[in-house]
Amino acid sequence: MCKDYVYDKDIEQIAKEEQGEALKLQASTSTEVSHQQCSMPGLGEKYPTWETTKPELELLGHNPRRRRITSSFTIGLRGLINLGNTCFMNCIVQALTHTPILRDFFLSDRHRCEMPSPELCLVCEMSSLFRELYSGNPSPHVPYKLLHLVWIHARHLAGYRQQDAHEFLIAALDVLHRHCKGDDAGKAANNPNHCNCIIDQIFTGGMQSDVTCQACHGVSTTIDPCWDISLDLPGSCTSFWPMSPGRESSVNGESHIPGITTLTDCLRRFTRPEHLGSSAKIKCGSCQSYQESTKQLTMNKLPVVACFHFKRFEHSAKQRRKITTYISFPLELDMTPFMASSKESRMNGQLQLPTNSGNDENKYSLFAVVNHQGTLESGHYTSFIRHHKDQWFKCDDAVITKASIKDVLDSEGYLLFYHKQVLEHESEKVKEMNTQAY
Amino acid sequence: MKMEEMSLSGLDTSKLEAIAQEIYADLVEDSCLGFCFEVHRAVKCGYFFLDDTDPDSMKDFEIVDQPGLDIFGQVFNQWKSKECVCPNCSRSIAASRFAPHLEKCLGMGRNSSRIANRRIANSNNMNKSESDQEDNDDINDNDWSYGSEKKAKKRKSDKLWYLPFQNPNSPRRSKSLKHKNGFSVCTSASNTLPLLFSSSGELSNSDPFKYNNSTGISYETLGPEELRSLLTTQCGVISEHTKKMCTRSLRCPQHTDEQRRTVRIYFLGPSAVLPEVESSLDNDSFDMTDSQALISRLQWDGSSDLSPSDSGSSKTSENQGWGLGTNSSESRKTKKKKSHLSLVGTASGLGSNKKKKPKPPAPPTPSIYDDIN
Repeated sequence: MCKDYVYDKDIEQIAKEEQGEALKLQASTSTEVSHQQCSMPGLGEKYPTWETTKPELELLGHNPRRRRITSSFTIGLRGLINLGNTCFMNCIVQALTHTPILRDFFLSDRHRCEMPSPELCLVCEMSSLFRELYSGNPSPHVPYKLLHLVWIHARHLAGYRQQDAHEFLIAALDVLHRHCKGDDAGKAANNPNHCNCIIDQIFTGGMQSDVTCQACHGVSTTIDPCWDISLDLPGSCTSFWPMSPGRESSVNGESHIPGITTLTDCLRRFTRPEHLGSSAKIKCGSCQSYQESTKQLTMNKLPVVACFHFKRFEHSAKQRRKITTYISFPLELDMTPFMASSKESRMNGQLQLPTNSGNDENKYSLFAVVNHQGTLESGHYTSFIRHHKDQWFKCDDAVITKASIKDVLDSEGYLLFYHKQVLEHESEKVKEMNTQAY
Repeated sequence: MKMEEMSLSGLDTSKLEAIAQEIYADLVEDSCLGFCFEVHRAVKCGYFFLDDTDPDSMKDFEIVDQPGLDIFGQVFNQWKSKECVCPNCSRSIAASRFAPHLEKCLGMGRNSSRIANRRIANSNNMNKSESDQEDNDDINDNDWSYGSEKKAKKRKSDKLWYLPFQNPNSPRRSKSLKHKNGFSVCTSASNTLPLLFSSSGELSNSDPFKYNNSTGISYETLGPEELRSLLTTQCGVISEHTKKMCTRSLRCPQHTDEQRRTVRIYFLGPSAVLPEVESSLDNDSFDMTDSQALISRLQWDGSSDLSPSDSGSSKTSENQGWGLGTNSSESRKTKKKKSHLSLVGTASGLGSNKKKKPKPPAPPTPSIYDDIN
């Protein structure tokens, strides 16, 4: 006997079945996990690694061509045909299909359709879009079904005209969120704080608004769900820009040239305490009187994907114009100074944080930029997306070309998409899900 | 070595080192064993070498980084001919024109409500089919597939096929409707009048399929009052084939003014004159269209241009083209329809120069005046 190890298929099969039984016994003692709600394997299922069977082995032997994703491959990139002023839609689709966590969700076929008819489900269409864009097909895809579905489900966007990419993003996320729950008409009382659909898990953050009474210093706090952060720009007639740009040394490694506004500047302005003025007195809950107050916005809960929107299109009483001021934005962003928990240290003047603070939870990386060229009335959207970790590509409807990081960071920027670097274990969320069995 | 029999302190350094080495080797072996088992299993079961990439595939998907080419090595701007199938009407549409098509298809376009109202109003009057609606306008409309110009002739004879797929929202049709808005309402008097009418002068009268029963009016059934009112708004020239009156506008390019005058004289007596102004009884008409129609009427003897009304409406819906891929600029060129001053005998054919392909003049129709006179 050669004393080599032997693998016997039959015995292994028996072992697998017995293991499965044992796991099921374990599962029945815990609370029932609704399989429709979460598409993660419950305790009763075990997903083993795939191993080839004999017929598969033969097949693979006969067909030696393999497609493997390496960093020099085009797989994952594909152009999108412009259907008639639909460049705004194409850019958002490129950004969404290159959102790493969303990509992982759809490519592992995690979506279970809840809608009465899959033909009308936008999430199913997204799933099919991912398949198309990652197919390796060099010819651009025609997203006509997507357009049709969006027009049906978001009537305010329907119509052949140029539209705003940000508005499209919000509408699309909303429809996707509703369809994840099988809720076509948006009638069910969706509490975004408890929703666990993939869209909410990824995009929804919590924005905290603190109103402080000037008399008694009592604070009233509300937390609202948000999918993006819209930032005012210097030069807009409604903006109030108290600090000179670049006063603080750069927190996020942005190019620090005096006179150039950075994303961090915009965020700082966004989260500053704002005096509401004597015309907007609020009744304070604690001292029961109408007092002047200050209001401050901070982030309570950071989403996995943070989308920043520069309010470049000004529609004021005086004028309608596009603000083309260049805003410098970084490749890596630390959101810690803008969290609700950092308010104390900010008030004490300690805004600056060492860049290698041990806390990585709030660090983000840029992965998509949507740009607009042109005027308020007529223009064109293009996007830069990050693929294969460090390569950037410019997506101009049907044409995809390689771009450098410098191209990306020098672009004007309209929508910026950042992805969290470290994904924390959402153990709290899982517990919530389990108790919502209905 | 039996550890319990010795005390460590009694050992010299070399022996201590040897013990440490052994412990270390055990640890390394343990950690490697798991990996070894995996590889062993993979080799035994035959899938160890499975995922090696072959060099051909590597080349196929290599990213290209050269000026003038995209990452797949393709030249820019070659995607004009992409098509898709409309989920609403199941027709094949050019991809870059899909959005405007869908807008009309779903009834959301600027003209959609007007067209719809018109249809409702007219369907109350008439039960006849609208087979002649689908006219040459659509052939040159970029909503259709790009082979359309070549298939134009074929389409003409396939008119009846379009019946189930009425496209009342085609901008071409709406332009032609606006221009002929005069007589769509006053047809209530007669129940033999057609609903809508083809506009293009390219249709030649000589082809019997084009002018089927629904395009004309049987004048025998009309009373004198009805005739008179009809003739104030419509061309009225009697087609030799169908023996019916033409329901097109007073400036219908198919017939000459001479013919029209003759018809009026025939029906209404020698004092009948050709109406000067198009009546606009239709409430749906654009104001712009009326004034444009007036202006163009004043020019009718020279260069009758439908272009002002055409381009006017086209601009309102299409002026936001921004270049890349949206061929809105191509699709709404002026339609020039030439009126014919020529006398009896050369009625038809030359018609509108569509933007892509001016058709050769159709053979002249035999004159109807022979019958009348």
